[in-house]
Amino acid sequence: MADNPFDAETVHEIFKLVWRRKTQDRERGESTDDLQNEAVGGASKKRRRPTTANANALKLSCELLRIFVAEAVQRAAIIAEAEGLEKVEATHLERVLPQLLLDF
Amino acid sequence: MAEEDGDFQRDEPHPDDREDPVSGELRDRVRLAVIKIAESEAGKYGMEVSQPVVSCIADLAFKFTEQLAKDLELFMQHGGRKSVNMEDVIISAHRNEDLAATLRSFSKDLKEQEPQAEKKRKKAAKKDEKIVLD
Repeated sequence: MADNPFDAETVHEIFKLVWRRKTQDRERGESTDDLQNEAVGGASKKRRRPTTANANALKLSCELLRIFVAEAVQRAAIIAEAEGLEKVEATHLERVLPQLLLDF
Repeated sequence: MAEEDGDFQRDEPHPDDREDPVSGELRDRVRLAVIKIAESEAGKYGMEVSQPVVSCIADLAFKFTEQLAKDLELFMQHGGRKSVNMEDVIISAHRNEDLAATLRSFSKDLKEQEPQAEKKRKKAAKKDEKIVLD
């Protein structure tokens, strides 16, 4: 298994950033995210423990991220190649973006 | 520093980064990872990747990770759990069957690498040995 340039620690830090923000928004009563409020149990005003992820989940997330980036580059490269070019440019990425975002 | 990276410069915090001082460092790490993967993948086609493309993909990757965090938390809570597990990650890819299958297979490999799984395998291997010897 080749080494993934994305490391679990970085991904974990980004996750924690988001989860901290969510907790802060909820505590400030600013959360208009109904889905989130329902899931958490709207009635409870107790301070919730911040969300955590287990080590394997982080590794798997790294893999998912790696695949996302690899797919983006591959798809754009195929377009550039079809045009007989040697460099992947923004216009190539533009063309593959809609389907890429749908696929992920 | 800026010279190696072409025309990329970050002096201003990213517009999305609200009050988070840590984000800059994390974005840089994401960018580095993206550069490595991009060079490796484009290299397979004998190609280079332009700076704007790298920046765009790096930005996307960061946003993707943020969105993933939200989805994972939601699935975890929906499952009545207190921490995110591999199933949550696999479910997040539910819109793309091939991707979900790839992740599921990767997750099995990860489970097999765990110490407990190793013990079970060694036990099973020893049992097999006995049968062969008898």
